[in-house]
Amino acid sequence: MALSEWVRESRKYILGTIILVLVLAFIPFIIGFDQYLLLILSTAAIFAVFVVAWNIIGGYAGQLDLGAFAYIALGGIVAAQLLVVYNITPWIGMFVGAGVSAVLAAAIGYPTFRFGIKEVWYALLTAALVVILNNIFHLPEVLGSLDHYLPPANGWYYLKFPVYENIYWFILAMLAIVVFINLWVSKSKVGYYLRAIREDELAAEALGIDVRKYKLEALVLYAAILGFMGYVYIVIAGTYSYHTFDSPHSIAIAIMGIIGGLGSIAGALTSAITLKVVEEYLRASIGATIPGIHLLIYGLLLIIIGIFKPDGLAGIYESLKKRRTSGRKKISGGGNP
Amino acid sequence: MMDPILVTNNVLDGLLMGLLYSLVALGLALIFGVMDIINFAHGDFVMIGAYTAWLLAMAFWVDPSVTAIITVPLFFIIGIGIYKLVIEPVLGAEPLIQIAVTVGLGYVFQNIALALWHAEPKSFPAPWLNFSISAGGITLSVAKLIAGGISIISLYLIHYMLTKTKFGLAVRATSANREVAPLMGINVKKVYAITFGIGTALTALGAALYMSWGQTNPYLGQSFSLLSWVIVAMGGLGGVIGVLYSGLIVGVLEALGSTFITPSARLAVVYLAFFLLLWFRPRGLFARR
Amino acid sequence: MSGGEEILKVENVVKRFGGITAVNRVSFNVRKGEILGLIGPNGAGKTTLFNCITGVYRPEEGRIVFLGEDITGLQPHVIARKGIVRTWQKVRPFKKMTVLDTVTVGALLRTNSVTEAKRKAEDILKFIEFPEDKFEVMGKEITLIEHKLVDLARAIATEPTLLLLDEVAAGLRPNEMERLASILKKVNKERNLTMIVVEHVMRFVMGLSQRMIVMHEGEKIAEGTPQEIANNPRVIEAYLGTKPL
Repeated sequence: MALSEWVRESRKYILGTIILVLVLAFIPFIIGFDQYLLLILSTAAIFAVFVVAWNIIGGYAGQLDLGAFAYIALGGIVAAQLLVVYNITPWIGMFVGAGVSAVLAAAIGYPTFRFGIKEVWYALLTAALVVILNNIFHLPEVLGSLDHYLPPANGWYYLKFPVYENIYWFILAMLAIVVFINLWVSKSKVGYYLRAIREDELAAEALGIDVRKYKLEALVLYAAILGFMGYVYIVIAGTYSYHTFDSPHSIAIAIMGIIGGLGSIAGALTSAITLKVVEEYLRASIGATIPGIHLLIYGLLLIIIGIFKPDGLAGIYESLKKRRTSGRKKISGGGNP
Repeated sequence: MMDPILVTNNVLDGLLMGLLYSLVALGLALIFGVMDIINFAHGDFVMIGAYTAWLLAMAFWVDPSVTAIITVPLFFIIGIGIYKLVIEPVLGAEPLIQIAVTVGLGYVFQNIALALWHAEPKSFPAPWLNFSISAGGITLSVAKLIAGGISIISLYLIHYMLTKTKFGLAVRATSANREVAPLMGINVKKVYAITFGIGTALTALGAALYMSWGQTNPYLGQSFSLLSWVIVAMGGLGGVIGVLYSGLIVGVLEALGSTFITPSARLAVVYLAFFLLLWFRPRGLFARR
Repeated sequence: MSGGEEILKVENVVKRFGGITAVNRVSFNVRKGEILGLIGPNGAGKTTLFNCITGVYRPEEGRIVFLGEDITGLQPHVIARKGIVRTWQKVRPFKKMTVLDTVTVGALLRTNSVTEAKRKAEDILKFIEFPEDKFEVMGKEITLIEHKLVDLARAIATEPTLLLLDEVAAGLRPNEMERLASILKKVNKERNLTMIVVEHVMRFVMGLSQRMIVMHEGEKIAEGTPQEIANNPRVIEAYLGTKPL
């Protein structure tokens, strides 16, 4: 798809994204650079990046991937180790990490899609992948049982700072880029094909769509974005170890994607940022007396949405909009960005 | 070179664990096979069952396995309740929605457990059965032997129920063709509710037996869920026998991984086998056809 | 009209499932520009034959030659790209995509530009007389006849050489069937699109096709003009005898 065509088609959304990111970027000034709040915001923003990336494989291609942290941790640990062992800047390391995650995704995805594994089996396979990597990195020959730390040095060379605002702004810039990637996918031939695959694989294939190829492309793109952001995640987390291959958080990313509404970028953004901020708020306020209360709420939300509103937040928004404009003719671009 | 007696011992231990896994996985296989529901919360029923067994054991100061007398019927009823509340509304929904709803259910269970009992593992401090017997260098836990024995008996009873009783016939007819079953006078919704109840009751039995030697925490269910699904994938819906063999294979794989690599890599071995299985034998090892 | 070159040759195709032979040594040719009717009672092997031609199944024996090239056992998407596209007996809609987007998916087979594909999709939908106020309606919100039309439109949008229609008339009311038949004739004539129409609604297929093939229990038992088929004693015995015209 030509760039000019893409800009014309998505102008409204590009503008919206830029405004949203600018508003988010301005928040530190309002909260007086409160470091604790900035940590929460950074966490929410990086999860938003993860969920928007997940939207490519989960929302467009319709594959319930539960393995996000396989790629996040792998890419992040590769970049971190390059820095720790060889003093290679993460500006290079993150690209290497993205590449390694993409290669892993291709190696897993090729046979998986070749043999037609989907639905529950795909979900299980990706969930198992996180556990496998967790176990492998736990071996003493790999990372062992210890927590590993990034070098104490700070600065843009290390993409690591004594204060959170820089990394927060960096994540926001990445968020804008990942949203643009999504928009591009959504509006291009790939997006149409992925949605068709999600809706009906057999019918899609009969229309000449190479189902395996497009699913693999979606998976690799998703994994590369996650692998790239892995180092930033480690910077926020402070340490890395085999625990970075985190099953519950992998599932949480899929959950936020579903609550947002499959294939909806705005839904993914809203659900990730809201849920993560609410989560941190609840953890800070009543989390000490009732641990896990935020996750309990996730669970209930998921059940309610699954039963009553399978289209998620985006579906709720759509039906509200429809009620308001009923009677008027609806004009819309492609898909449901 | 590994000590062959140690290896034999670990494999036997793995077989006993495998029997318990079969018992738990059979519940999942029934639910998936009969009503086509993708239940990601199955292991979390085991976890809740383990806490229930622990609470009752502490209250009455009996071995946790004894509490199965209460927890099994209790979970049968809880299972039917959960079915009516959460599962029935998503019957026939997209797989993704079913996964989402049952993952949500698992989250609710985990975090109720976390809120009530916190993250520290819980175990019964004075189990009667947690001692071992030895013969010829082989040492086996009595609790696991008993759990294995009860698992086999339960598997047989379910097999008998499925093949020899009228209800079993209704179950098999429903799982074979849920459009035709109602025409033959079968109340499909009732079959579903009871099947879900039985599946849940089996998790409570497995959990009570396991608590004779094991400990529980809010996340116990995650490995039970994944392992049960691995067993169902291997069993290929090949009936009770398929589940039994698959459970034994999983138990042994886990023991071998634990012995030859390291205990913390035991799940990786099972899941790697799962990858290969899905890729090369997607219909399972013991598929009926 | 039926004297065109032969674009598809099905040669001695055999497809078995376990012990059952669903398609047994079936051969026939399709000529450019014609509408070929393929009829037979339920279980005659029509849909299985379709699945062999479109690559869903790989036949155990025999060859399928399309435009001089052996396409036996190729993957469905490769066959579609070569120019054989099908519709489905049970509609397989893209429920959460709009009608226009669904047809655009088909059009994207021959272009990478979404804008161009969309324009083409609009043209095709107009051509088959799909109600314009429903272009932006989601796939889950349209009626059965509309589903059939969308299914047809997205297939035509791939610019096929040969279109396979699997029981398009199933489930439609008589007036809807007439509407569909006239659209199919228009597509055949104005777009010069060759079609194989699998059907067991006799009246529909008799009026539509120039030539017919009859299958029974996996075998081809007759071939000829609709008139010849209607008078063929074997056909009457095997098929029409149980289901009169």
